[in-house]
Amino acid sequence: MGRPSPIQDRKLPAGRPMASAVPYLTAAVILFILPLVLPSYYLSVLTMILIFGLFAMSLNIIFGHTGLNSLGHAAFFGMAGYIAGISIVTYGIKSFWISTPLALAGAAVTAAVFGVIALRVSGVYFLLVTFALGQLLWTIAEKWYSVTMGRSGFVGIPAPDLGISLLDLGTPVRFYYFVFVIFALCYYLMARLHRSPFGYALQGIRERESRMSALGYNVWLYKYIAYIVAGVFAGVGGILYAHFNGSIAPSHIGFSNSALVMLMVILGGAGTLWGPVLGAALIVLIQSFASLVVPARWPLILGILFVVGVMGFRGGIGPHMVKRVRRIFSSGSYQS
Amino acid sequence: MIATNEVSFRVDAGGRLVIIGPNGAGKSTLFNLLNGQLMPDAGNVFFFGQDVTRLPLHRRAHMGMARSFQLTSLFPELSVLENMMLALHGLRSSRFNPWRATLSYWNLLDKAEELLSLLDLWSKKDDQVHMISYGEQRKLEIALCLASSPRLLLLDEPSAGLTSDERLAVMEIIRKLPPDIAVIIVDHDMDLVFGLANRIIVLHYGQIIAEGTPEEIQADPRVKEVYMGMEEEKT
Repeated sequence: MGRPSPIQDRKLPAGRPMASAVPYLTAAVILFILPLVLPSYYLSVLTMILIFGLFAMSLNIIFGHTGLNSLGHAAFFGMAGYIAGISIVTYGIKSFWISTPLALAGAAVTAAVFGVIALRVSGVYFLLVTFALGQLLWTIAEKWYSVTMGRSGFVGIPAPDLGISLLDLGTPVRFYYFVFVIFALCYYLMARLHRSPFGYALQGIRERESRMSALGYNVWLYKYIAYIVAGVFAGVGGILYAHFNGSIAPSHIGFSNSALVMLMVILGGAGTLWGPVLGAALIVLIQSFASLVVPARWPLILGILFVVGVMGFRGGIGPHMVKRVRRIFSSGSYQS
Repeated sequence: MIATNEVSFRVDAGGRLVIIGPNGAGKSTLFNLLNGQLMPDAGNVFFFGQDVTRLPLHRRAHMGMARSFQLTSLFPELSVLENMMLALHGLRSSRFNPWRATLSYWNLLDKAEELLSLLDLWSKKDDQVHMISYGEQRKLEIALCLASSPRLLLLDEPSAGLTSDERLAVMEIIRKLPPDIAVIIVDHDMDLVFGLANRIIVLHYGQIIAEGTPEEIQADPRVKEVYMGMEEEKT
């Protein structure tokens, strides 16, 4: 073999892989044990957190990493949810292994088409175009009654049928573990992406687009691929949600859902990996409690939450927490 | 508006061409035309015999054209090393890899160490770019350009805002560049201009008013006129 790399010995960026595994393992263990002790209502909240956490992470690929402010991300979430539901209920495609690829392909094609249109502009215009495209789908979902069942939503979507009797997902606990496994898998894939040359290229584009071109990157192509990838991951969230809820409605494809997921990302910390999951957890938790106690006040609470989050935790709650923890650990090591 | 008007020149491999001229002479516009940031309304850009006038920036980069920017144009939230890795992946097919960690390409890390050490930046490799000094950012700017092993290097005011020590260091780096690459520099610092150039072009209001060796330029009456005029305006 060749000479040993001088950098290899130096343990470049200070032993990240091993140290970072600890919080992940802890989180995984907690998420694994929780459903065994949680009452069923809280189990459904936890399932929602994972689904929306996944959805928020997908938006983060374009919003946080690439710097594309999309206000139509629910389009892919809703599109996949509708296709999954319609293919199962209307067309009788029972198998999860067929309905899901169909739905994901639908989300990917939608993103591929929307991307061509939206990526012709940038900045606030991108925001407006994605918003308009999302509303277009929302209108279709609401008006095309014969296919989508209109305003009240498409109902009757069963639990996923994996075709293996041992893996019957009929109970909430089993469905939770199913969501958990898919969430973990998607998280892992997005984490790899984040640290890969492709992921760094996206961050470079966020920070200095013209320089990236000068370095040899085809900026448009990167944005386009990122947009489609984000759309597919959002689609995974949408499919899980459709199965979980048993229904999917126009509101899931339209502006309110797009805005909600954007708040999750901003609140949790755009550009970080797990910040959006934290943001999703916070919003889903507060939403579920608010809907029990003061259902009519949810928009007000959401508004306050957002203002406090943006003013008190600039850059998101996630990064603030990391800083705090680092400070505790580093001061500890100085004393010892 | 015509910022650059009927400018025609060539630079050969190994050439060290310096473009000078008063502010607003069209130097940066010329650079933008050369590397593809702007498309000319008329005229052509040839790169080693190939017409690249209509090629986008990133394609020209792949052909071996690198450029530094007058206003520092780095990735401020990323570390020095991550900046370097972006530049190193830029011309390799690995830039599309969504799976392998970018900091696990040992051969590129070696290259990054080599270049960062050359520019005295290796000790700063883990610092975020917005944390390092302006002079260090200027040096990193040059390091990013060198990462692609370019055939043509465009340096837009490499010495702007540097202390005299840093200026000397930058000159030393440019002098040590491989002799076969062509370098075009825009700068105001006369020590740097006459210390490095083997050919000088003087731009004024978008037109070439003089071209020649450093000695010829120093003796040219029109150049003196332009710069004398500036001196008078200042006083």
